[in-house]
Amino acid sequence: MRGPDVVWYLCVAGFLFCTGALGVLIRRSPLIVLLSLELMLNGSNLALIAFSRYYAQGNGQIFALTVMAVAASEVVVGLGLIVSIARRQLDLDVDKLSTLRG
Amino acid sequence: MPAAWICLLSPLAAALLITVAGNRISRRGAGYVATLSVAVSFAAAVVSFVALLGEEPDERYHPSTLWSWLTAGQLDFGLRIVVDPLSVFMMLVVSGVGALIVAYSIGYMDGDDEERRYFAYMALFVFSMLMLVQGGNLLILLVGWGLVGLSSYLLIGFWHERPAAIAAAKKAFVMNAIGDATMALALFLLIQRAGSLNFETVFSQADSIGGSWTMNLIALGLLGGAVAKSAQLPLHTWLPDAMEGPTPVSALIHAATMVTAGVYLIVRTAPLFEQAPRVLELSAGLGAITLILAGLIALVQTDIKRVIAYSTMSQIGYMFLAAGLGAYANAMFHLMTHAFFKALLFMAAGLVIHGLAGEQDVRRMGGLRSLMPYTFGAFTVGALALAGMPPFSGFFSKDSILAAALDHGWYGEVLWVAGMIGTFLTGLYAFRLLFLVFWGEPSPFVREHLMVGSHEHAREGHLMHDGHETHEHAGEGPFSMTATVGALTLLAAVGGFIQFAGVWTAVSDWLEPVAPPLVEATGMQELVSSVVAVLLGLAGIGVAWLLYGARTSEVPRLGWAQRLLEHKFYFDAAYDAAFYRPAVFAATAIGRFVERPLVFGSVRELSQGMRGLGLETRRLQTGLVRTYALAIAASLAVVMIVFVAVR
Repeated sequence: MRGPDVVWYLCVAGFLFCTGALGVLIRRSPLIVLLSLELMLNGSNLALIAFSRYYAQGNGQIFALTVMAVAASEVVVGLGLIVSIARRQLDLDVDKLSTLRG
Repeated sequence: MPAAWICLLSPLAAALLITVAGNRISRRGAGYVATLSVAVSFAAAVVSFVALLGEEPDERYHPSTLWSWLTAGQLDFGLRIVVDPLSVFMMLVVSGVGALIVAYSIGYMDGDDEERRYFAYMALFVFSMLMLVQGGNLLILLVGWGLVGLSSYLLIGFWHERPAAIAAAKKAFVMNAIGDATMALALFLLIQRAGSLNFETVFSQADSIGGSWTMNLIALGLLGGAVAKSAQLPLHTWLPDAMEGPTPVSALIHAATMVTAGVYLIVRTAPLFEQAPRVLELSAGLGAITLILAGLIALVQTDIKRVIAYSTMSQIGYMFLAAGLGAYANAMFHLMTHAFFKALLFMAAGLVIHGLAGEQDVRRMGGLRSLMPYTFGAFTVGALALAGMPPFSGFFSKDSILAAALDHGWYGEVLWVAGMIGTFLTGLYAFRLLFLVFWGEPSPFVREHLMVGSHEHAREGHLMHDGHETHEHAGEGPFSMTATVGALTLLAAVGGFIQFAGVWTAVSDWLEPVAPPLVEATGMQELVSSVVAVLLGLAGIGVAWLLYGARTSEVPRLGWAQRLLEHKFYFDAAYDAAFYRPAVFAATAIGRFVERPLVFGSVRELSQGMRGLGLETRRLQTGLVRTYALAIAASLAVVMIVFVAVR
């Protein structure tokens, strides 16, 4: 097998995932939160594909394709929500969307 | 046997139709639908009767199963009816008298607010009663038994704005439930021992079901049901109160059909009872005691319907006496003639009540003979038949019961004497009522109300129904009432000739294959009984004439006796003290010392604890997406660490 060892791929994937998770937790703009979510998904995709190559099996790649499909539909829903929030002239700030507080 | 199924289901169809149609049919239309359905039942019963008539006596037994209704292990109960001489006999009586009474109701209930409900209930009742008498196994019989109790409850409490009617309905239901329970216990025993409830299976192995203990228990359980339904001692207290219902209901349920179900049950399960002869004798004894006590109480009642109600108890006492002695055909014969003349008496009383704008107190009546001659005639025929005067129907049936009693040793002779005392009492209370209501000068109350009431009613009827009524007997009631009373008068007068003891015995021959009699009266016994019974009945009528008709002698005043009778031998008071008060006391005590501190207290504390917990947990719900995400991430991390650590 050529290219770097699988550990390096996992390091990059972990880095991407953690960056995304941090973004989700810290950022307040729903757009950026959504973007960070995509980062997390891509991080996990990278790990899947790395393992897929490592074991020379197609399962991981197929799974990654599924995750992409899920990510795409999630973006559709998420962006739709953001658009409708903007339409209602509300602040684009996830901390202000706290009507579900107990 | 499709005719029998039509007979059974036609009233049910009518009840459903009236219920579903609601406002879409007129009130009067509901009455016509109900009457028609019961008439169809009667026609179908006649068809079944004719079909049986064309067969050999031994072949007259036709079970018919629609489908398997209840299956449990080895047991399989079908939705099964049976057509045999006994069930056809009952079908004819129930649907025939029922059709007349439902038709009578059209006039009687005219103008009531809830006529449709009334007629739906009536049709439901006829269906239940037919199910009871047609049921092909004891389970279906029990279903009919319960349904009859239910529809009786609904009809007694029909005027639900009267507290007394509601109380009476509940009382009837509870009393009947006691009987239902003992009957169900008997059926459990039968299922355990015989493995089936089908009539022919159970009866064919009646002598091998169990020892005398088992058989006595089964028979006692069945007798409990019969006693409750037929208002015999000691479960009789509901029947007089049931007079709170509309008068046609009293005529149909509490005189002609339902209360005789106990007699039917004993005759139907005769093979079981015959394995427990002591219980059979007990039922005869209960009948004898009831017939005397009820006759005595009837002497002092002042409500026209209650007098007739006590007389019903007394007459059913005769039937129990006969059934207990094994004179099944005589019991059924009396059941039939009683259905005729007692329905007639109730319906004639209904005409009086109807004419007097709802008044039922005989002390305010009097002198109706000249004002309501038609009703007077009908009532007289009914009273004569009730008192057992020849040639009216009661004479033939009652005297044959008394004659049969003579064929049962010393016990039978005791019962014979009791029955004879009852005959005297019957003549006395029947004609006391007749003289009080119809004799003498019209009382002020009658003068004031009779004409006014009937005129108003007639006018209302014309307004509401475009004058369809033909007031043939203007002032006595609409045509539907007078015509049906006329038909029953005819039946009560000549119905007894179906069986003429010693000469022709149509009823006995008809029922012989189902319930062969245990006793057979000789011609001499018949003659003696008839003569003595007629003389005693005449004596009763004579005393009534002296006291209430001619009023030549004062009614004797015996303070203690009067009080005893007016309090109905203190049965109600005794039950009150024995069951009701202790139950109330226990309930209050448990409420105060258990319910409130333990149950209420613990529930309250539990709920407060839960509330506190909820208030605490509530703070976890921040509504911020990031905290949720953090929680998810943190828990995932924990799970991961655990997985790694466990490895």
